Amino acid sequence: MNLFIDTHLNDVVIILEENGKIKKEKILKDVPENSKVIMPTIKKVLAKAVPNSIIVVNGPGSFTGVRLGVTIAKTLAFTMQKPIRTITSLECLAVSTEEDEKIVAFSDKNGYYIGIFDNEYNLVGNYEYLSNSEYEEYSKNYHVLTDITLDYSKIIAYALTKKELNPHEVNPIYVKKIAVEK
Amino acid sequence: MKDVYILSVETSCDETSIAIVKNGTEVVALTILTQMDTHANFGGVVPEIASRMHTENITMVLEEALNKAHMKVEDVDAIAVTYCPGLLGSLLVGVEFAKVLSYVYDKPLIKVNHLIGHIYANKIDNKMEFPVLALVISGGHTELIKMTGDYEFEKLGETEDDAIGEAFDKVARVIGLPYPGGPNIEKLAREGNNTYKLPKPVMDDTYNFSYSGLKSSVINLVNNERQRGNEIRKEDLACSFQTTAVEELTRKLELALKNTGIKNVIIAGGVSANKYLRGQIQELCDKYDAKLNLPEFIYCTDNAAMIGAAAYPLYLKGDFADLDLNAKSTSSIC
Repeated sequence: MNLFIDTHLNDVVIILEENGKIKKEKILKDVPENSKVIMPTIKKVLAKAVPNSIIVVNGPGSFTGVRLGVTIAKTLAFTMQKPIRTITSLECLAVSTEEDEKIVAFSDKNGYYIGIFDNEYNLVGNYEYLSNSEYEEYSKNYHVLTDITLDYSKIIAYALTKKELNPHEVNPIYVKKIAVEK
Repeated sequence: MKDVYILSVETSCDETSIAIVKNGTEVVALTILTQMDTHANFGGVVPEIASRMHTENITMVLEEALNKAHMKVEDVDAIAVTYCPGLLGSLLVGVEFAKVLSYVYDKPLIKVNHLIGHIYANKIDNKMEFPVLALVISGGHTELIKMTGDYEFEKLGETEDDAIGEAFDKVARVIGLPYPGGPNIEKLAREGNNTYKLPKPVMDDTYNFSYSGLKSSVINLVNNERQRGNEIRKEDLACSFQTTAVEELTRKLELALKNTGIKNVIIAGGVSANKYLRGQIQELCDKYDAKLNLPEFIYCTDNAAMIGAAAYPLYLKGDFADLDLNAKSTSSIC
């Protein structure tokens, strides 16, 4: 059994997967204060079960959202002594599309997170964050996939092929610069 | 009675700290990872960076605290965490972390107010006796509180505008001292004299404080001198400011000592680390034959041991939080 945690935007996604099948899934849309609901939702999904491994979406996305998911996941993995793996929010999109040209993106209030992937889902170059106006220019020249429906079975299967990490070393990726970094 | 061990977590600002405290008074282990050097590069705490560093380090801080205590999380009776007040993003990391411990090990979760934590720093090694006058002085708070027992607070007075620590930091910036401002003013003040005439804050008979007038007058003085092309004697200005700022505290504390007849005083909060202030309050307490308790220096600044001490009375009352606990950036003691 594998526990999947995704809180990188305002949705809270908690899934329990076993042998390629989704056993239990809770997807809460537009949660205003997700700190109130993430742990209660994990408790509900796990019931009394102890997962064999943890998968967490480690960003990019809402700074606080990603941070809460990652903090919870690494602490679960550390205390339960279970393997932990990360998958990025943009990898989740790339894995969920059949298209060959995988330029995937999603937006927040001020702009777009973008990633380019090959057919083995390897990232080409780096993740970028474009402002709304930069994105408008960019999307004139490239075919960007923005309306991908997430396929959690595929996402979890792909994440399980990734390397196990030491929980201490699991950290969010933020991509978007903050004022003091500019 | 069976001994009670509480594992406590504090992440309200720029220290990631975890402690194990026995019976609310004995520190079994304390780990504090400070981010001060990182934030010093930016001239002050950058909230987003503080939150990031808490997430990076928190499981390592736990491991170190457990190793120091030679204990496992299984061995403790409860998990306590600071949930207010402080930087929201930073608080949230500690709160979610503590919830996971509470969930995985099936231990009660106790939510603790950071300011009450500073007061209970005085309980460590059994130093606090009731009734007591507590002066809570930090970057966000300046309050005079009367306590008649555990968690029995009566607010006598508070700041009407800026907190004392805030005034120290702003004055430090105006005279060009690096972060952290408070300790640097104190250091500089030792080399100076009280020669600048600064206005005394409101001389009324309430227990309330005011620091914005004092702060503004320092800023105006610096600007006026600069416009006239005069050098500011930084040491003297630091000393004059500190003297006036501390006088405001001692005057109101003296009023409370006189009116209440209480013979115990504690000081809590980051500004209580100021040695000049400690000396002045000690003198005042001697005058009124009152006993002043000061926590050890390590328990004055942010630390998780004080959170464990403050959680203990709540543990005895069975005052527990659920997994839907949220953090709050603001809050007062009472």
